[in-house]
Amino acid sequence: MKACMRHLIATALLLAPLTSAFAQTAVNRNLPLSSGGRVELSNVAGSVTVRGWDRNEVQLTGSLGEGQRLEVESSANRVALKVVYPQNSHSSRGAVLELRVPRAAQLQTSTVSAGVDVADVDLRRLQSSTVSGSITANGRAGEAELTTVSGAIRSQLQTSRLETRTVSGGINAAGASGGEVSANTVSGGITLDLAKVQRLSAESVSGSVGVRSAGLQPGGRVNLETVSGSVSLGLPANTSAQLKVSTFSGSIRSDVGQVESPRYGPGKNLDARIGGGDGDISIQSHSGSVRVSLDR
Amino acid sequence: MNIHDDDHDDALAQRLRGLPSERVAPAAVWQRIAAELEQTPRFQQAPAAPALNAAAPRRMQRRWPRYGAAAVIVALIAGAGVLWLPQQPPAAVAVEESSLQHQANTITYQYRQAMATLPQQDVAAELQPALRELDESAGSIRSAIAQSPDAAFLLGQLQRTYALRLELTRKGVNPTGLST
Repeated sequence: MKACMRHLIATALLLAPLTSAFAQTAVNRNLPLSSGGRVELSNVAGSVTVRGWDRNEVQLTGSLGEGQRLEVESSANRVALKVVYPQNSHSSRGAVLELRVPRAAQLQTSTVSAGVDVADVDLRRLQSSTVSGSITANGRAGEAELTTVSGAIRSQLQTSRLETRTVSGGINAAGASGGEVSANTVSGGITLDLAKVQRLSAESVSGSVGVRSAGLQPGGRVNLETVSGSVSLGLPANTSAQLKVSTFSGSIRSDVGQVESPRYGPGKNLDARIGGGDGDISIQSHSGSVRVSLDR
Repeated sequence: MNIHDDDHDDALAQRLRGLPSERVAPAAVWQRIAAELEQTPRFQQAPAAPALNAAAPRRMQRRWPRYGAAAVIVALIAGAGVLWLPQQPPAAVAVEESSLQHQANTITYQYRQAMATLPQQDVAAELQPALRELDESAGSIRSAIAQSPDAAFLLGQLQRTYALRLELTRKGVNPTGLST
């Protein structure tokens, strides 16, 4: 009798993972979308992988967790996909999804803890937001807006307009991001390695800001701000811009210009012209240190 | 006062001297510290015994780090009080403040009014660390504004932090409703 019970328990333990696997539902949907159409994907947990392809249709594959279902709205110009989770679904696995999107589509993804990985795309517009999931974006996009709360953002997008925002997640943008770039964090660090920029804005409260750029486009503007985070800016020696730096209690080190302090009271500032001076660079920090370097 | 106390006072004095001289508290805070020091019984009760008069200057010299430490504590308490002033409408605030501080207080007052309309207890747990981070950051920015009343960019930072806090709180009530 005891041996029989042992066999039953062992069988139940062996079958448990299979039961969990069976609880997952496979997804495989293909939906037509006209050129320039909009694709929306919403998923709370799990993962979202996005890849581009040369078809005028959207494809969603992957698996849904226990009790989850897929809501689909589809028209010629818009496809909306939403994974609906059951109430009190804390124990269920998130949906693992792979999305294929046509060229020139406008893509919007929204997740909570699910990470988002976008690559090999050529989009008109990319909007991606998560709470704690990370966002990784590669490929091309006319414009991109990436936001998280605590998740990290890593972008190597080729885009003329990049907007990134986090609270505590780090922002790392590299590659051919140029044109207009903005990066905002509260405590997360910002690291940017950019092509020539027309307009660059990077702001943090306590996170550090590190920027390297291939230079400014004619009349370009750079604005870097922190409260207590450090700031470093690296530019080529042939940059043409008016440089203004001010701090309240932080230090300033610069390859160009003289740091000045008022005779009485706190504060340091630097006002210098680099090259012809047709662009504008403004760096302000309350207590963070500032470093400006020009490549020789 | 024994030798150990002397050593401790010297070390404390050295640390106090090592503090960055640029971090000057605003005038209003120093006025409040002075008032607090005058009203503190411990300092008022110190008797000026004639027999000890000769040793008094030296003793005072030894004690000043303690007064300095007390002043720092009072400054911290006063600073905390300043942070909570905007609980009242800005017009009721009767301390000297810069234009930037006044704007910051107005923004903070409006922000707190907006926050009071939101159900805080229903905010999703996964957002709580970020909300705490935002609250602490807003406090840091307000302190920076108090120290550096000419740094207009700090006002933008404060607005951005409050806007983000409100946005996350609103969305955090229903995290699955988060969208770009």
